[in-house]
Amino acid sequence: MDKETVATISYLSRLAFDKDNEDKITKDLENIIKFVDQLESIDTSNIDPLTSPLEQTAKTRVDEVTAKNRKEKFLQNAPDANEDYFLVPRVVE
Amino acid sequence: MSIQYKTIKELTLMLKAKEISNKELIQETFDLIESNSHLNAFVTLNKENALNKAKAIDNKASDLSLSGIPIAQKDLFVTKNLRTTCGSNMLSNFIPPYSATVIENLENAGCISVGKTNMDEFAMGSSNETSFYGNVQNPWGENLVPGGSSGGSAAAVAAGIVPAATGTDTGGSIRQPASLCGITGIKPTYGRISRWGMIAFASSLDQAGPMARTAEDCAIMMNEMCSHDLKDTTSLNKEIPDFTKNLNTPIKGLKIGIVKEFDLSTLDNEVVKIFEESKKHYESLGVEFVEVSLPNINLSVPTYYVVAPAECSSNLSRFDGVKFGKRCKNPKDLEDLYIRSRSEGFGEEVKRRILIGSYVLSAGFYDAYYKKAQQVRRLIKNDFDNAFSKVDLIMTPTTRGSAFEAGSMNDPIQMYLEDLFTVPANLAGLPGISIPSGYVDNKPLGVQLIGNSLQESQLLNVAHCFQTSSDWHLRTPSSEIR
Repeated sequence: MDKETVATISYLSRLAFDKDNEDKITKDLENIIKFVDQLESIDTSNIDPLTSPLEQTAKTRVDEVTAKNRKEKFLQNAPDANEDYFLVPRVVE
Repeated sequence: MSIQYKTIKELTLMLKAKEISNKELIQETFDLIESNSHLNAFVTLNKENALNKAKAIDNKASDLSLSGIPIAQKDLFVTKNLRTTCGSNMLSNFIPPYSATVIENLENAGCISVGKTNMDEFAMGSSNETSFYGNVQNPWGENLVPGGSSGGSAAAVAAGIVPAATGTDTGGSIRQPASLCGITGIKPTYGRISRWGMIAFASSLDQAGPMARTAEDCAIMMNEMCSHDLKDTTSLNKEIPDFTKNLNTPIKGLKIGIVKEFDLSTLDNEVVKIFEESKKHYESLGVEFVEVSLPNINLSVPTYYVVAPAECSSNLSRFDGVKFGKRCKNPKDLEDLYIRSRSEGFGEEVKRRILIGSYVLSAGFYDAYYKKAQQVRRLIKNDFDNAFSKVDLIMTPTTRGSAFEAGSMNDPIQMYLEDLFTVPANLAGLPGISIPSGYVDNKPLGVQLIGNSLQESQLLNVAHCFQTSSDWHLRTPSSEIR
């Protein structure tokens, strides 16, 4: 784990850090990755990954509209919105 | 007659006998919240609605199972028209337009939600110290942590403010604070309780459950919390038993496994002593102990700290400052809006886990970490399947020790190891319960029982038999034995 890797994953995560914090974060992440590296010691060839304890396929249901239009209610929680849309800074010049 | 430290069962009897009115009960609950405000157990109160609901029940009696019972709700469950923060600055102004299925189920059973309890931010922590809304104090001692992440719920029950509270458990967040606060908490089988309206941390591990003073009250809560929910695709469509029905079934002849690979000699002597004395107690009830081997169990914590951060980084990508939640001031463009909103909205531990998650999911590392951890996860689950062909239950300590001082655990990995005994049940999707089983320097400590899939009734039965023949769960922070 180096500062460059931390910068890359910070950007992938859309997070930014103060310069003063960089060393601590790099060190913490390095320790955590070192800790989980224990997993390397075990042979997992031919073992299927377990993604969920249930291991069931997604259920299907009748294709009918169940959701109500609650646009107003949902837009109320937006930091910035007009009557119909969430608003963000201009994307296209 | 004070309502403090009363159980659901006792309060129900008091209400039925009209020893107290519904309104008085709720008013007294808010008096207790006020006189215990130093605990910082609640983030948001629901006083006006709660009192109105109580008055309505006084005017029109109801025989619902939780009629008039004050319940504290972990601030991770969304509650319609009641602020839901998840312990984060990101959601400091979030007023959900709907309620979680668990909340609806409980309220439909007549309970009164008195407020939202403090918690580690997005349930990421084992001491409640990562909450944006400040630490929660353990009622058992000044400056002691209540555990986490359901620390506010645990403290509110331990202080006798409410008879029960809701919690959620991704790696131990019900059982660890239950242990540290001297109460009973159960994490059901994955899928038993709907996750609809639970703010997601790690979707393949998250599970809600009750925290209460007794196993019997946990059973009463479970009866209402469990449901098959079409809104949650991982909700189990299995018969839901009456969890109170078999509480008194004799446990003679049950086989409980002790995990060979857990080296208890590294723990404090007092902790080991409590564990050994509980074993003797169960033996006196006719239980037989057998050693079982779970060869991969010591890889549970590293496995968890790949799987959980990976799912967390994915789940928490929804917080982008656009649709709800915090937005930074004066963003210069969309990218700046995303980055600054997230950097200002999330605390240190949440950011750390998002970064770990992004790392283990990124190209080049996915196979070495994420896929590998999921493979080890299967090995751990297979170990449990083998063990349960030989025993009915498995017993471990819940925690490595009793409550520690706030600010005393600064190394993230040491904090992660707090989950040593609780994480395996989440990885395998199994039910687990923490039962108050002794005291170290006047600080409570729990013992954990893990059951086979869907065997919550058996866990509650064994816990109830322990509690009807012991008094550890009857002690309170303000008096020795109630």
